[in-house]
Amino acid sequence: MSEEKNNGGNLIDGSPIKRRDFFRKIGTALAGASIAAVGVGGATKVKGNRKSDLYWQIDHEKCIQCGRCETSCVMPVSAVRCMHANKVCGYCDLCGGYYRTNAKELNTAAENMLCPTGAISRKFVEEPYFEYTIDEALCNGCGKCVKGCSSFGNGSLFLQVRQELCLNCNECNIAKVCPSGAISRVSYEEAYKFKDHA
Amino acid sequence: MKRFLTSLGLLPLAGFLAGAVDRFPRPDFESGYQYPEYSYAVPNEMLWDIIDVSVLLILLGIVTWALFKKRTKGPILAVSIVSVGYFGFFRGGCVCSIGSIQNVALAFADPSYSLPIAVFLFFIIPIVFAFLFGRVFCAGVCPFGALQDLVNVKNYRLSRAVTGALSIIPWIYLAFALLYALTRTRFIICKFDPFIGIFRMGGDIGVIGFGILLLLMSVFTGRPFCRFLCPYGAILGLFSRVSVFKAEITPKKCISCDLCHDSCPVDAIKAPYGNKTGETPVEGVKRIVVYMAVLPVLMLAGALIMRWSSPDLARANSEVRLYEMVTAYEAAMDAEMEPEVEAFYSQGRNLGELEASKDAVLRSFRLYSTLAGILIGLVIGLKLLEMSLKRGRKEYEIDYASCVGCAKCFDYCPQNKALAKASVQNPETDR
Ligand code: SF4
Ligand code: SF4
Ligand code: SF4
Ligand code: SF4
Repeated sequence: MSEEKNNGGNLIDGSPIKRRDFFRKIGTALAGASIAAVGVGGATKVKGNRKSDLYWQIDHEKCIQCGRCETSCVMPVSAVRCMHANKVCGYCDLCGGYYRTNAKELNTAAENMLCPTGAISRKFVEEPYFEYTIDEALCNGCGKCVKGCSSFGNGSLFLQVRQELCLNCNECNIAKVCPSGAISRVSYEEAYKFKDHA
Repeated sequence: MKRFLTSLGLLPLAGFLAGAVDRFPRPDFESGYQYPEYSYAVPNEMLWDIIDVSVLLILLGIVTWALFKKRTKGPILAVSIVSVGYFGFFRGGCVCSIGSIQNVALAFADPSYSLPIAVFLFFIIPIVFAFLFGRVFCAGVCPFGALQDLVNVKNYRLSRAVTGALSIIPWIYLAFALLYALTRTRFIICKFDPFIGIFRMGGDIGVIGFGILLLLMSVFTGRPFCRFLCPYGAILGLFSRVSVFKAEITPKKCISCDLCHDSCPVDAIKAPYGNKTGETPVEGVKRIVVYMAVLPVLMLAGALIMRWSSPDLARANSEVRLYEMVTAYEAAMDAEMEPEVEAFYSQGRNLGELEASKDAVLRSFRLYSTLAGILIGLVIGLKLLEMSLKRGRKEYEIDYASCVGCAKCFDYCPQNKALAKASVQNPETDR
């Protein structure tokens, strides 16, 4: 085919075409070689097993509940939600994660609630204990309750990336704005960092 | 390294920080109360990797078959819809081949970084296909290209000079993406991905707005993102230029009807061109030699400019920014404490250690921005060279670096219609 196209412009007796073909062959060889090199090199860097860093997760020991988890996730409602370590909880009546610090009366009126979405509910267990439960469908990961509980209570509330909601972005958008560097890739075994397991 | 340092600094204060402080004794329940269990789920990442890579391979196979055997755009359109639906809306556009450049580069530069296997396959498979068959990935397998193609109605042409100038941007973008990935600052391709917000229907409002603007533009001119922004497309173009097999507009003789030229969404079909400058071959060679001499000058200039601006570029890095915040806070103690500064102190880090890690970041910025500058200078020089090279063409030819393999020109070529009639003897397949 190229032989037919061989008379345009400033070409002299076909040699530029041959030259071009020759350069193309060199280019093809170079391209093939570089693919082979990157392929072999990359293959040695690959880790695909469950021990390698697959999931984004929050280290609750570093988290300072800045509130960016709520706003910085790429999902319309953050993939970060609050979890509750019941075994750490004091089951207090006066819960620092449940009531606002300036609540006038300790009843369940909305203006006394710390959680902006009403995701925390409580149930009387026995005198004087109350069980607190997070409705994760309502939670938006703002961390207000976590801050309240860590400041005044046992710190049984903590934020986690819900892996079933997380898109597993190539680079977690929250990780890059997290002021405490609390979010990193973890292995399958550590896909959640629970509070009462350590 | 950074993580190692922070966790070391954390140790002495771990008890203070670690939330789980027993301010209140854990209750002794008398009513036989049972602690509720956590409810949580971990999706099967392996399974998704396998599905994603299989879909990628199948779609690439279909496009290749449509381009080389079937010679029609119908299957490619179907692939585009599947890709936008599956890779785009269903899988949220992540991880994509474009972003994978950053992971692969980082894996080569930083041995502590482990490259996920799916990311590596998404990087290398389309390149292998480009090396064999041209940019079949771009034809419809890439959800970003497919999305732009699906909304494309009309193709207004930009002038050769404008296209040439704009087509340098993907390389500059690539240089910066590598710089910020290798310094572990940010994956800017992921951050500024204009279509991912559309696929996920959420995210940064500015970037989504840019994506919508690009989509509006692609109604009137083919694939603006592919041509003037996408760094992966630029890499694929390199391999496609020298690919082993090449798609031809028609297996028969070109009759220079200009129909295919109008049909190409990315302006990859070059019209016949007679060299009328009257330049003798010797003069031409001399001119090229002069341009070649300019090349190192451009590279040097790029290197110097980028090296000089590296401290400013480095301010995007979190360690550098943290250092600035902490020193500013310590200079004016009564100022309000930023959350970053608060975390810095509560993790028990100290300024000396932070300064050392900031200096390390600055050093790697100096190195990589110099290299990025060389790359930018080289690309600008080569582009000038390419645009000034005049070579004659007798027929309509495909520029394989730009051709995205959408197969639109096939359906416009009257020679192909004659071909379809003659071989199939069935006027219904003749489109
Ligand atoms: S961004 Fe970081 S510090 Fe802020 S709430 Fe989320 S994990 Fe905690
Ligand atoms: S206060 Fe915030 S983090 Fe806690 S449950 Fe409510 S929405 Fe979730
Ligand atoms: S990885 Fe993406 S989806 Fe998951 S928490 Fe981070 S930003 Fe949200
Ligand atoms: S040029 Fe980039 S965005 Fe366009 S189709 Fe190719 S890889 Fe996708």
